[in-house]
Amino acid sequence: MLDVRDLTVRYKSRGNYIDAVRGVSFTIAKGTFAGLVGESGSGKSSIVTAALGLLPESAEVSGKIEFDGTDILSMNEEEKRSLRWRKISLVPQGAFNSFTPVITIGHHIAEVLKLHMNMDAKYAEERTERLLEEVGLPASVKKRYPHELSGGQKQRAAIALALACDPSMLFADEPTTALDVMTQAGILKLLKEMQEAKRLTVLFVTHDLQMAATICDRLLVMKDGFLVEEGSPHEIITNPKHSHTKDLVNAIL
Amino acid sequence: MNIKMFLGRRSIIAFIFICLTGILGPVLIQGNPQDTAGAPFAYPIWWNSRNLPASADFAFNEKGCGFEWSKLPPAVFSLMGTIHADPKANVKIIWRTPRRKYILASLTGQSVYWLNLDGRDMIFKQFLGLPLIGKSVDFLFPSKGRYSLEIDGAKYADLKLSLPGQRHGLLGTDQRGRDVFVLLVYGIRTSLIVGISATVIASFLGMGFGLAAGYIGGWTDTLIMRAVDVLLSIPTLPILMVLAGIWGKGLWQIVLILSIFSWMGTSRSVRSLILTVRESPWIEGLKALGAKRSYILWRHLVPETAPILLANIALGVPGAILSEAGLAFLGLSDPRLISWGRMLHEAHSFGAFTEGAWWLLLPPGLGIVLLCLIFMDIGRYLEEQIDPRLGGGGRDA
Amino acid sequence: MNKSWLLRRIFSSLAVLAAVLVLNFLLFRIMPGDAVSTIIDPNFSPEAKNRLRALYGLDRPLIEQFFIYIKQMLTFRFGLSFLSRKPVWDELMSRLPGTLALMSSSMLLSSVIGIWLGVKASLNRGRWIERMVLRAGAVTASFPGFFVQLVLLMLLARTFPLFPLRGSMSIPQPAGTSAIIFDYIWHMTLPVITLTLMGFGGWALYVRNLMVRTMGEDFVLMARARGLTERQVVYGHAFRTILPPIITIMLMSVPGLVSGAVITESVFSLNGVGTFLLAAVSGHDYPSAGAAFYLLALITVICNFLADVAYGIVDPRVRIEAGNK
Repeated sequence: MLDVRDLTVRYKSRGNYIDAVRGVSFTIAKGTFAGLVGESGSGKSSIVTAALGLLPESAEVSGKIEFDGTDILSMNEEEKRSLRWRKISLVPQGAFNSFTPVITIGHHIAEVLKLHMNMDAKYAEERTERLLEEVGLPASVKKRYPHELSGGQKQRAAIALALACDPSMLFADEPTTALDVMTQAGILKLLKEMQEAKRLTVLFVTHDLQMAATICDRLLVMKDGFLVEEGSPHEIITNPKHSHTKDLVNAIL
Repeated sequence: MNIKMFLGRRSIIAFIFICLTGILGPVLIQGNPQDTAGAPFAYPIWWNSRNLPASADFAFNEKGCGFEWSKLPPAVFSLMGTIHADPKANVKIIWRTPRRKYILASLTGQSVYWLNLDGRDMIFKQFLGLPLIGKSVDFLFPSKGRYSLEIDGAKYADLKLSLPGQRHGLLGTDQRGRDVFVLLVYGIRTSLIVGISATVIASFLGMGFGLAAGYIGGWTDTLIMRAVDVLLSIPTLPILMVLAGIWGKGLWQIVLILSIFSWMGTSRSVRSLILTVRESPWIEGLKALGAKRSYILWRHLVPETAPILLANIALGVPGAILSEAGLAFLGLSDPRLISWGRMLHEAHSFGAFTEGAWWLLLPPGLGIVLLCLIFMDIGRYLEEQIDPRLGGGGRDA
Repeated sequence: MNKSWLLRRIFSSLAVLAAVLVLNFLLFRIMPGDAVSTIIDPNFSPEAKNRLRALYGLDRPLIEQFFIYIKQMLTFRFGLSFLSRKPVWDELMSRLPGTLALMSSSMLLSSVIGIWLGVKASLNRGRWIERMVLRAGAVTASFPGFFVQLVLLMLLARTFPLFPLRGSMSIPQPAGTSAIIFDYIWHMTLPVITLTLMGFGGWALYVRNLMVRTMGEDFVLMARARGLTERQVVYGHAFRTILPPIITIMLMSVPGLVSGAVITESVFSLNGVGTFLLAAVSGHDYPSAGAAFYLLALITVICNFLADVAYGIVDPRVRIEAGNK
């Protein structure tokens, strides 16, 4: 489903270059729940941003990101836009200010439904309610504003929004940061359920190796822009090969 | 703060220059600025258009005077002075134009005559047989050529022929014939005095209220902040108008009125500064050491507010200058006081527009603009010094 | 809408109004001498002045005067003008439409032009339009607006006689409704244009700053990630979010607008509430001055209140208590 080849991302900042991603290559097969693990600054978020075609103008990219055979990086804005949310969507960080504060949750969802799926208002409203219920929220949430929801509720709403247009691939960028442990567990459970039910391909980005090992089928470990190791959770935990992976594993056990 | 760099800034140099002009100008300029210097609505002397004559004055004795005249007639014809003669003699004052001669006066029976002939007087026009409506100068100066004034039959005379022209002075004259450049220089004082003192008073008021609200807190804080909100909701110019109209239009009344309505902004900034600093560790430390509240207030908190105060003053002066100018423009200032706003008022109300006298508008107006720009620049510089983040932070990535 | 929030707004507006009323009362009553004795009009004999004093209740104790005054103000019965001997209410009402027209048209134009320029500037960082907005904002902030108006008046009404020098209509009035309307517009063009010119810079700069900050927010990036068109992102999300602060400056600009209108009416010799106040204040016509000031303050308070309410409608975070879980 997702084939990353030799991806390099550099940001230019006041005359200096910051190498966020250095020649990273990996493949994620369809239907996999993959985990991208690394500390802050390891480059994992940049990969997600690059895949959505949202890197800033000042960034230099090279390499390929092939989604279902087509290279995202060589697309123009039109093509990228048709890809976004319809094929690939994103559940952002828990602490992220991801909802527009003056617009209701329902409006957020209905907006993408109308845009990408050409739904009329009535049908969009029904679907919105169903989506919210699927993620465990009451239908009345559609009338609420983002600031009225708790952290956990917001993340569930974000998941509902991400799944609105029936994408085939989902990125989850640290979706449980800033949530308490109980809520975290609920969100993770929800993600796993959704993935299984809709047969999604998920790339779960986190700094928490333990969390990733629990729910992912496959792990990719990054450090300082390099992909240092990949394998199944069992392999990674029991037999880490790279020194960094060893450090991470040791930190858990 | 780098004093040298501060003094080198263009705005500071301009400011010093203006201050010096404002202080030294009145000393160096001779005469009363309120005196009539030339014809009303005279153009500036350098205005080159339509052969307008500049002012000309001739002082002469019994021998008379003569001169060439090649421009349009002057604005006024005025002959003043004394003539001494034998009472039995018949003194004649003759004005010769290239076309004809006029007998301006025929005097007899006294030994000393005091003359004050003005071409605008009805009696004068009647005496010369000129039409009563219209300007006599048009007849007295019919064309280019040689003109002369002769005195017949006098023993001696001490006379002055004044011909205020349509061009006079560096910046022309106003509706009363006063030299605009002189008025401009005298007006510097008013703008600067009102602007600076009103702002300084307002800043101290603001600091006082801000400190009280921030440091004492509680009911005092609520009360003061409510008062600030209310005062800010009152439309400024109308209240200033009412106060000026009722309490008086004098210089210091205006200063007080302006101060009362401009301390609100400063008090808010000071209050928020105090609120932040109040909780800071070193204040806590001082309290723990047993320092009294008044000590903390005077020796520590007040100096903290000094930079804000300075910047606020510099930025507040343009507002005060503009308010004073606005009030003066509306006519609500002391008519005896020369101020740039007042000059604009007189330009507007006394016919500058019908005469097209732009020189009555541009100098005072541009002066106000210049002062505002200078203080804004100084204020911004001071702000940058206080908070370096503001200086470069304006450039967003 | 949240009831308690609305009530608080009403209460605060009433507080301001009360303060204005008290201020108004005190101003005209505590200056030296009494109002009637300073009437300049020579037609007033001492007997007439005494009668006037009695009529205005100036010979009664101060407290009683206060209550009479409050009653008058609240019922809009302002008495007779000292100068014109006509009812002040009539004088004000004949002039109010003109002043309101001037204020509202220039507010509308300034804000629309300013907002549009501000948004365009924020979307075109570094290009000429942004630089123009930055400069215009800085310049119009501390600039003697009435000087600009005077210069433009001289330029466009005397040097190049394109517009009339004074007044809001020609004398004698032209015949026919459309001719009258056209004449009115011709007279009001310069005043409105100059007021707008003085105002748009502040709007443009403020909106530009708001948009620049908002476009960098997370939710804007997320909106883009959702595949929304640039238009939807900019207007449906970014601009929609800055509407509440825009309402705020509409609120904050009203007192300035009133002052601007007063000056403009003076420059262009328009017959409005501002010039009426000026004449009343200069001529010591206390009933007129008090009433005119009261009216202007009332307009300010009402506009502020409406802006507050509009803010509440537009920003849900204000009217819905956060934390309804």
